[in-house]
Amino acid sequence: MSASALAKRPLLSRHLLDKAAVWIVLLILLIAAGFVSEAFLKLNYLGNLVRQAAPIGITAVGVTFVMILRGVDLSVGAIVSMSAVVCALVMDGKAENLWLAIGVTCATGSLIGLANGLLIAYGRVSSFILTLGMSIVVYGLVQMGTGGTARGIVSPGFREFLNDRIGNVVPTLAICFVIAVVVGIFLQSQTRFGRNVYLVGANPHSARLAGIPAVQTTVIAYCVSGLFAGLGGIALLARTGVSGTNPGAGMEFDVLAAVILGGTTFAGGRGGVGSTFAGVLVLFIALNLANVAGLPFAAQLTIKGIIIIAASAAHAWIGRSGGDRTE
Amino acid sequence: MNRAQLVIPFFSRLPPIVWALLLTVAFGALYNPQFRTVDNAMNVLEQSATLAFLALGQAFVIAGGLIDLSVGQLVGLVTVVACMGFEAFPGWGLPVILGCLLLGAVVGAINGTLINRLRMPPLILTFGMLSVLQGCIFMLTDRSVGSSIPAIDFIAHGRITGIPASLILVVIATVIAFYCLQRSTFGWHLLAMGNSASAARKAGLNVRGLALNAYVISGLFAGIAGLVLAGRLGTGFPNAGVGLELDSIVAVVLGGTPLKGGRVNVVAILAAVLFLGTISNLLNLMQVPTFTQILIKGIIVILAILLERPRWAAAPQ
Repeated sequence: MSASALAKRPLLSRHLLDKAAVWIVLLILLIAAGFVSEAFLKLNYLGNLVRQAAPIGITAVGVTFVMILRGVDLSVGAIVSMSAVVCALVMDGKAENLWLAIGVTCATGSLIGLANGLLIAYGRVSSFILTLGMSIVVYGLVQMGTGGTARGIVSPGFREFLNDRIGNVVPTLAICFVIAVVVGIFLQSQTRFGRNVYLVGANPHSARLAGIPAVQTTVIAYCVSGLFAGLGGIALLARTGVSGTNPGAGMEFDVLAAVILGGTTFAGGRGGVGSTFAGVLVLFIALNLANVAGLPFAAQLTIKGIIIIAASAAHAWIGRSGGDRTE
Repeated sequence: MNRAQLVIPFFSRLPPIVWALLLTVAFGALYNPQFRTVDNAMNVLEQSATLAFLALGQAFVIAGGLIDLSVGQLVGLVTVVACMGFEAFPGWGLPVILGCLLLGAVVGAINGTLINRLRMPPLILTFGMLSVLQGCIFMLTDRSVGSSIPAIDFIAHGRITGIPASLILVVIATVIAFYCLQRSTFGWHLLAMGNSASAARKAGLNVRGLALNAYVISGLFAGIAGLVLAGRLGTGFPNAGVGLELDSIVAVVLGGTPLKGGRVNVVAILAAVLFLGTISNLLNLMQVPTFTQILIKGIIVILAILLERPRWAAAPQ
């Protein structure tokens, strides 16, 4: 008893360190960036950074819930593609279709998430392979729907509004991202669903024995992931203006990288939306720094890989539970 | 009567994927005259070789409860390095080939060592390695470079008395993999680790050594796959390996291997590779549009994992 009481204190600080780690890294990176160029610390740049990160960031908020739950969602890249295409198609260049398009897009994303969640919760299969299969299905559907060419026209005012800057400083899209993060934090810390996600993720078996609706929680989590991926698709459409045929290709990898950077590991029960926000920013600042330093795209890919490995190793070192593959 | 008693259990014990393969082949042979030619069959076998090598390597890793997401980009890297090497050092074919195999093994060793030393989840580490290797490829080149050599071309396209040379290599690799995984002490230990790493360690197994070996083997197989792909393409295409890691995992899972490891059937995995190849070939012959083919492939993956219902499915999600 006394031993556990003694061990409790360092454990608590380690927990805090685990939460703060990504923010510390973000701070260090920002200071380092400030030394490289004054521009990095200007509000204008920071606003731009958050705006640039919005599509991936918004999507990452949803994926965080799935990852806390010990799952993974590889279908988000395809959902982002699908949402961008669906949104542009429904808008059809008419201003009055704007809200209908956004509604339909959100519904589409949630529906795919729902399918993911139901199949994973009731089929009790590996989320890795299932969402991978789902991403191939969705990708196929998008390609069939578009016939391999960019289709659909965005509503007038849609791009203008989202790419505008409020007070000429803060981009609207950056605010959308921040709102998505706030909604995510609310879901995670203020709702029963959020609490259940952590409990089921930390120990699915005990959670079920304790009477927590694991199946329901799983289904909702994948739904949330799909919904946020849908919103991420809308954000991407706002930035590019053209739906393309597969604009979200490979985005699931960047999203995963950001979530892992934030400290939400595959072990489940740890991390959170706030950390993911910091993770997204760390990823983008690091890539921007590489860009400013004149490193070629190839070097940036390598840096991204090394960041993922280093961040995960650090989190494993801090938490140990995250790095123990013996379970 | 006696005969039936022998035959029925044999067929009922066949893995489901073998049935799926047999049914697909039977369907194709009945309804498509182009499909049932010997030439087409040999083509399918030849085209499946790259994925077969990758899946065999992946089988070692997944059997041990690990995963290797880096193999796809490793194939790309080997393809590029091999073709650059062949062009830069004419007449030095064999050393370049050996160098490429060594490159695969070294990347595997780095994966294994980092996972052991940093105690990281293999999924994340090899995922990071995927990005690192992709960066390495594009640092070398951003377009197709170099060319293949006749010896490699022969392995990829050549026929020995009508049988593709790549098929012979795949069969040899399968026999070796079968022996290593299902008939040797190393295989038993690897499967024990897949079942429960902590139990395996408590039983005195060298868990770290096993993981390292599994990754080196996976890297080596990726090296072979990269060389075969170099022969098939005839040039070093930087994006040659994109997505192959997922294909190899799908093949291993279709072959009845749970992602948590502990169970493996090498022949079923080979059947899964052939199944994927046959489906794709059949859909091409039936002139199904590419996009519909993608959709069908995704549905197959989802159905396969739902129907397989592995043993560990009983565990809570």
